[in-house]
Amino acid sequence: MNLPAVFAVAGWELRLAVRGRLVMGTALTFTVVCVLATLLGLRSLSDLGLAGVGPGTGALINLAILFPPLMGIMLGANSLSSARERSLLPLMLVQPLSRVGYVCGVVVGLVGAVWLTIGFGFGASAILLASIAGTADVAGLLAIVGSALGVGVVSVAIGVAIAALAGSRIQALGLSMGLWFLFAFAIDLVLAGVAAAVHLGPAGLFVGILANPLEAGRILMVLASGADALTLGPFGTYLDNTVGTAGAALAVLASLATWTALSLLVAYMGISRREP
Amino acid sequence: MMRTHRQNPSKDAKLLQIRGVSKSYADQVVLDDVSIELRKGDIALLVGANGSGKSTMLRCVAGLTSFEGTVRVLGADPRSADGRGLIGYLPQLVALPEPVTVGEVIGFFARLRAISVRSPEEFASAVPLPAGFLPALASPIGSLSGGMRRRVALAVALLGSPPLVLLDEPAASLDEEHTASLWETLQALRAAGGTALIAMPLMVTSLLRHDLASVADRAVLLDQGRVVHDGPVDSLRPSPTVGTGPALPRSSR
Repeated sequence: MNLPAVFAVAGWELRLAVRGRLVMGTALTFTVVCVLATLLGLRSLSDLGLAGVGPGTGALINLAILFPPLMGIMLGANSLSSARERSLLPLMLVQPLSRVGYVCGVVVGLVGAVWLTIGFGFGASAILLASIAGTADVAGLLAIVGSALGVGVVSVAIGVAIAALAGSRIQALGLSMGLWFLFAFAIDLVLAGVAAAVHLGPAGLFVGILANPLEAGRILMVLASGADALTLGPFGTYLDNTVGTAGAALAVLASLATWTALSLLVAYMGISRREP
Repeated sequence: MMRTHRQNPSKDAKLLQIRGVSKSYADQVVLDDVSIELRKGDIALLVGANGSGKSTMLRCVAGLTSFEGTVRVLGADPRSADGRGLIGYLPQLVALPEPVTVGEVIGFFARLRAISVRSPEEFASAVPLPAGFLPALASPIGSLSGGMRRRVALAVALLGSPPLVLLDEPAASLDEEHTASLWETLQALRAAGGTALIAMPLMVTSLLRHDLASVADRAVLLDQGRVVHDGPVDSLRPSPTVGTGPALPRSSR
């Protein structure tokens, strides 16, 4: 693979992304909401005479599981589809760069944009935490950040796969928003609604979580923040008894890695088989 | 470090070989058994009415679409790892991203081709266009007119003087002055031994035959996906159905 060309594409995509309104708007909103969530968490703790990130953690995890993945999946969906509609894709594909190299460059560049957004939001939270509550809980926050970065990679890869398959940019963006809604809310609601009726059980619930990259990311963040599986309630007790906390973390990591690999494969096949 | 390919092929080498290329979309035949050869230094016009298959032919040569038959550039399949990067390509329509500047566009494509354009001398060497042809490098693409954007895209196609240049209607959106500059550029390309296949709509070739004769050696006339004439540019005569159908070669009068 022509690595300098891959990095050139990555730099180009990052440059285009950070100059777009989607990234700037999301980064700004995400940072403001992260700061508010951190301040509210610290306030509720100080009212109780305690310190730490505890109650704020839930809010930050939910933010990390909603904002960056939405941005990542939309950026990914916009990338190849926009390049195709603008006839930039043929211009790229006659360069000394393979199609797999081009897809890799696009993903790396867009992941950089998502990571910047996560860095702004959680960076501001970390500074607040360190200055008000000390540095003891910053490690937990950094673990959440690490998990959020991983979820960012998955979301961009899924978005790029959608772009490679969709007929138009509008279709790609619509599909990406629909899929994000499905992962972020709809699957949870369906599982909550039917779990008892169909006797899904904790094993079925675990499979449902592994099949949903955002839910897998959420579980990973909870576990990475220092909590053990028991924090997840009765379901956590099941995990603790069957695979343990480390096993659960490995399972959700494997889920995220599989989603990323499959998405990149679909993106490569899409860009290879379709005319640019 | 500028990478240049121009010295690679010998003068007599067949730089482009198109043999028996056919292409269909559903049941519509777009190209039907097209064969064209270009030697190093040949500049050929690919002429035809709308829908005659010119753009599809260029896309086949660029390795951007599947087809039956064979295309070789310097002996390599343009879709293969060896063939990539041998071609400079200007699509018929291209919308460069608006938030970036002219310099950033040129710089990006130069990096892809491992060409340095940091110093003015390197830039002038890598972008073989007359002075003043390109807008200011600091200009955002979004602030440029359609014609100026076309000139930037043309610079990208000619960047680093690739062995084969494919230009799909390069004069589209250019005003008279810059069309003249384009001819100068193509004349310079010809003088430097460059090789190019240039798709031109029939109407333009009919109107500009004398200009084009100074730019191109040959005109290949496509009609409904078939080569119906391959000869000097002057051998194409104006057609009474200019712009609506293919002109006939003189030999068929």
